[in-house]
Amino acid sequence: MSGIAARDVVPTIAAVSDLSPAASDSASHAVVLDGISKSFPVRRTWGEMLRHPTLSPRAPVLQNISLAVADGEFFGLLGPNGAGKTTLFKTLATLVLPDSGTATVGGYDVVLDASKVRSVLAPVIADERSLYWRLTAFQNLELFAKLQGMRGPTVHKRVKDVLDVVGLSDTAEKIVAAFSSGMKQRLLIARALVAQPRVLLLDEPTRSLDPISARAFRTFLRDEISGRQGCTVLLATHSADEVLELCTRVAVLDRGRLLATGTTTSLARDLGEERYALFTRDAGHPALVAMVQRGVVGALTKRETEDGWERVDMELAGGMERASQIVATLVEQGVVIARFERVPLPLADLIDRIVRRSAEGASHA
Amino acid sequence: MREALALIQASWRTQRSYRVSIVLSILSLGVTVLPVYFVSKALQPYVASSIANQGGNYFGFLVVGFIALIFVSTTVSSIPDAVGAGIGTGTLEALLSTRASIPSLLAGMVGYSFVWTAVKAILFLALAMVLGLHLSLAASLSGILILVLIVLAHIPFALMAASLVLAFRTTAQIPSVIMIASGLLGGVYWSMSAKIIPGWVHAMANWVPLAPGLRALRQTMLNGASLSSVMPDVLLLVGFIVMLNAIGFLAFTEALKYARRTGTLAQY
Repeated sequence: MSGIAARDVVPTIAAVSDLSPAASDSASHAVVLDGISKSFPVRRTWGEMLRHPTLSPRAPVLQNISLAVADGEFFGLLGPNGAGKTTLFKTLATLVLPDSGTATVGGYDVVLDASKVRSVLAPVIADERSLYWRLTAFQNLELFAKLQGMRGPTVHKRVKDVLDVVGLSDTAEKIVAAFSSGMKQRLLIARALVAQPRVLLLDEPTRSLDPISARAFRTFLRDEISGRQGCTVLLATHSADEVLELCTRVAVLDRGRLLATGTTTSLARDLGEERYALFTRDAGHPALVAMVQRGVVGALTKRETEDGWERVDMELAGGMERASQIVATLVEQGVVIARFERVPLPLADLIDRIVRRSAEGASHA
Repeated sequence: MREALALIQASWRTQRSYRVSIVLSILSLGVTVLPVYFVSKALQPYVASSIANQGGNYFGFLVVGFIALIFVSTTVSSIPDAVGAGIGTGTLEALLSTRASIPSLLAGMVGYSFVWTAVKAILFLALAMVLGLHLSLAASLSGILILVLIVLAHIPFALMAASLVLAFRTTAQIPSVIMIASGLLGGVYWSMSAKIIPGWVHAMANWVPLAPGLRALRQTMLNGASLSSVMPDVLLLVGFIVMLNAIGFLAFTEALKYARRTGTLAQY
């Protein structure tokens, strides 16, 4: 199997390290980051401060991040908590100043042209408390439309349009305090959309939603925001499934480092779609054993399920096409199969693999 | 300016949803005016000589002093309070993500407090007039101008306190210190020219912006003096405004940069 590290990750990292705004044709890129680094002061105890009063230790949060996001792209930033996703977004939103490197949004520098950046970019601040809870949804959006420089009848028209887009027209006159978490999330998105931004930053937008609302919300993001509104969307999440479902390209961040960038297709193919669960009554069937011996399937683990069937977890290279061939072969040879499904790769495993393969790629190089 | 008005409108919409709070706030004015009226009546014979050149009526003297003091209180506390609340709720970050300028946002965040203070001041004055206060209405324009200058002279202290909130999450008691200094040395309760006040206290009072402000305000509102006749005090106030505002705005700009560098705009 060809890993993402050997084929995609190492060259990608090399390529983005060389990227400069000028060289990367920033006109066609909505967002360009070039060597962005950021560290924050480490909070120390009183004892440490008295012992070492002159020290000012800092923790790196972003380390030399370079990447470019094309106009209209749905781009994912995948990483666990503390990876630096939120800091990266706040840097783009001009709310955090980088220590070094440059970042441009719509061609404007986030430090030198902060006000122009704010005219093309809108962060969806996921904190529900940042809404005005005693105002209605309409009044919240009306306020932000005016703060974004809209005047006269345009304000009401735009607010109505945006409420329609996020499906809150029926509750426009309800105060936000009476909203559910899902409705507040939609209102936060509406607040960002009211300014008609070219670039939308979404920081874990489904974290407080139940699974059904989260699925509906993802459909809304894909069809409406990215599709009909044509926004460039940067989505930060720790859900690999969310990225695979929504994004065309993805960057994997861990502890402030950019581990990989690539298309979600290659990420899914090389890292995500190789784990499967097979439910059978013949876990010891010779055909299955032979496949393991020949190395067709790998890392076989078995356990009995409550209803008497056995679950066999396996690694299988080659994507869904190859998986279907294996299932057909097993059935043909008499293995009774009740269910066969892809097992989503946990984010921690995915990052482990990228780190491991990146290291392997570097040692080969 | 329109951005500021939009924020003031939002604050009004929020506040009017707390109906009991609004009613109690208005009722408390009546409760405040009455004790002031009776206490001033009781003390009138003792203070009459020291306030002879400032209207001579202790009730009027106190009413004008209280009105100036509630504006000072609103000025020095509203900006740090609004910034602190904005950090705590995350609204500050949301506001700073918009295209609105920082001065517009600050004006909008505290504008409602000033409008509400003005409404309370008018009601306070009206109640006081019902109780027999005589004001020179012809001088009210000059009075409003002096009140605006008093507010402007105290904005730098508010900006410094807000800067400390932005950077270190504390006001370092600046609003309290200003309120105590203004109350004791600004001449709210007694005339700073009274013989009983020691010379060194009088010297300290020269550094309190409310002192010249109140002198000028009482001269115009209670004695009907013209603006030109109180010009020395007005110029002193303008001096405070010019000198302190540059420091205040610089402190706020640097604190905002510091918060952006340390990533603490939304961390309380």
